[in-house]
Amino acid sequence: MTITIALPSKGRMKDDASAIFEKAGMKIVAVGNERSYRGRVEGLDDVEIAFLSASEISREIGNGSIDFGVTGEDLIREGLSEADARVEFCARLGFGHADVVVAVPEIWLDVDTMADLGDVAADFRARHGRRLAIATKYWRLTQQFFSAQHGIQLYRIVESLGATEGAPASGSADIIVDITSTGSTLKANHLKILSDGIMLKSEACLVRARKAEHEGDPLVAKITEAVRGALG
Amino acid sequence: MPLINLPAFAADLLADFERLGTLRVDTPVIQPAEPFLDMAGEDLRRRIFMTESETGKSLCLRPEFTIPVCLRHIETATGTPQRYSYLGEIFRQRREGANEFYQAGIEDLGETDVAGADARAISDAIEILTARLPGSRLKVTLGDQSVFEAVVAACGLPAGWQKRLIHAFGNSAQIDTLLTRLSSPQPVTGLSAEIEALLASGDDATLIAHLDETMQETGYSTNASRSPKEIAARLKEKRALEKTALDGRTLGLLREFLSLSIPLADAPAALFAFAKKSGLTLDGALSHFDARVAALGNAGVDPALLTYRAAFGRPLDYYTGLVFEIVIDGSSAVLAGGGRFDRLMTLLGARTRIPAVGFALWLDRIEQALAQHEGEATR
Repeated sequence: MTITIALPSKGRMKDDASAIFEKAGMKIVAVGNERSYRGRVEGLDDVEIAFLSASEISREIGNGSIDFGVTGEDLIREGLSEADARVEFCARLGFGHADVVVAVPEIWLDVDTMADLGDVAADFRARHGRRLAIATKYWRLTQQFFSAQHGIQLYRIVESLGATEGAPASGSADIIVDITSTGSTLKANHLKILSDGIMLKSEACLVRARKAEHEGDPLVAKITEAVRGALG
Repeated sequence: MPLINLPAFAADLLADFERLGTLRVDTPVIQPAEPFLDMAGEDLRRRIFMTESETGKSLCLRPEFTIPVCLRHIETATGTPQRYSYLGEIFRQRREGANEFYQAGIEDLGETDVAGADARAISDAIEILTARLPGSRLKVTLGDQSVFEAVVAACGLPAGWQKRLIHAFGNSAQIDTLLTRLSSPQPVTGLSAEIEALLASGDDATLIAHLDETMQETGYSTNASRSPKEIAARLKEKRALEKTALDGRTLGLLREFLSLSIPLADAPAALFAFAKKSGLTLDGALSHFDARVAALGNAGVDPALLTYRAAFGRPLDYYTGLVFEIVIDGSSAVLAGGGRFDRLMTLLGARTRIPAVGFALWLDRIEQALAQHEGEATR
């Protein structure tokens, strides 16, 4: 059986993923020219490499059209319902670190915790004639964190596909749920992360689609072990 | 279009609704999504079927009837009191069971005799279910948010805490977390020396002016979201409460109250005894409660079917008083659920406050119960 591994198609994620695979004894070579979106692994004829965007990898692993993928945990958990039942997180790769966080305007001096935010949300409609608005591209993670974990129901999500951190100042939302690695963009926009507002500490992961045919396949086990071994 | 998948007893139900003097209404299957998300919260989004109009308006397949019936009432400017009934398909994404199923129910809008209307909703629901499921023993559980509100108020808790507790009412995990948190002081930290000084001075106007200025400097509008005044007020409240913790006695009282689960007939005496023993003044809420118990008696409801559970509520901000649900004794499938939602009509845009109570019947579950019952009977 041929095993397909999807790797990020560009940027640092691509370089870091290739480096780990090389260290794991699975040097990846592009098929055709350097810009090709297909590749193979030296010495492993039954493995195909597909270079895809990180969010495509999350989607393709969810519908099982690829076997392994390297992508951010945030994209997997946001993209797939019941992620743990559908994919196995085989290894955390130590790069692509980013936290998905709840951030509010710094000037909200009275709001430090999710409990504070729950209070504010409960009153919001009475005070402002509308629900508390959260700008984010992380619909699923936000709903899980606010509704299931913190019992906050009364808010509205405003979809934001870019420059989310600008939404509170521009007035299109009150607070945001966004990804941050250093926090500097948040700071520049006068936002602060709530003390218990880290929803997910994400990094690049090797993930495997849970497929029945993987059971007892030595190649599947070999890939997982080799990558784990390379992380030392 | 005649529907051939209607439950066999649909015609009987409609006859019941007519006999009960309700006005049958229909609402479009395709509804604007906004009111549902606004009222029930974002969590509903993954449980409804949403789509978009060509112009980008969010639409959904009708996930329930209460909001469409209430909106229709407001739009058609119908006078009150008015009792509506409905029977139709609703659409929800469920892990188990079909995604489209029938629901029927009654919404009673504008009846000012609150106890009477509450009792009528319960007795109508029991009567309809009894007619469909003869021989099954029903079990009705009642809760009352206004009693909990009265208990929290009588405990003399700070206003902010009262609001939090009332907001969490009905979600037992949430209430537990909250009670635990309130039991230890919550210090306010991380404020700059300047803000600390302003807070200490008690000079509200200067504090607000400072917040206002900071917002303008950092490019935040002072009126698009939370205002400097609102932030300052809540900050002061937090500071005032930072050394306060819920005392053991009050915690014990709240837990004792929330653990009450007794036959409704015994509840007035039990609540009175609780109030007396704990020294809490609950008179207003208890007299409403007693009036409802009396009205249920007058309506001829068998008291043996009714249980009061003090912690039973729905954590949505438009529910205000009674909530109830009906199951067959020994089963967990809710066949009918209802409650009082006096805040919903104004939230939806009604100009005046319109008291409202209603219930919905889950026709697919009634069908299942019926099939099971008939299966047992033939064996």
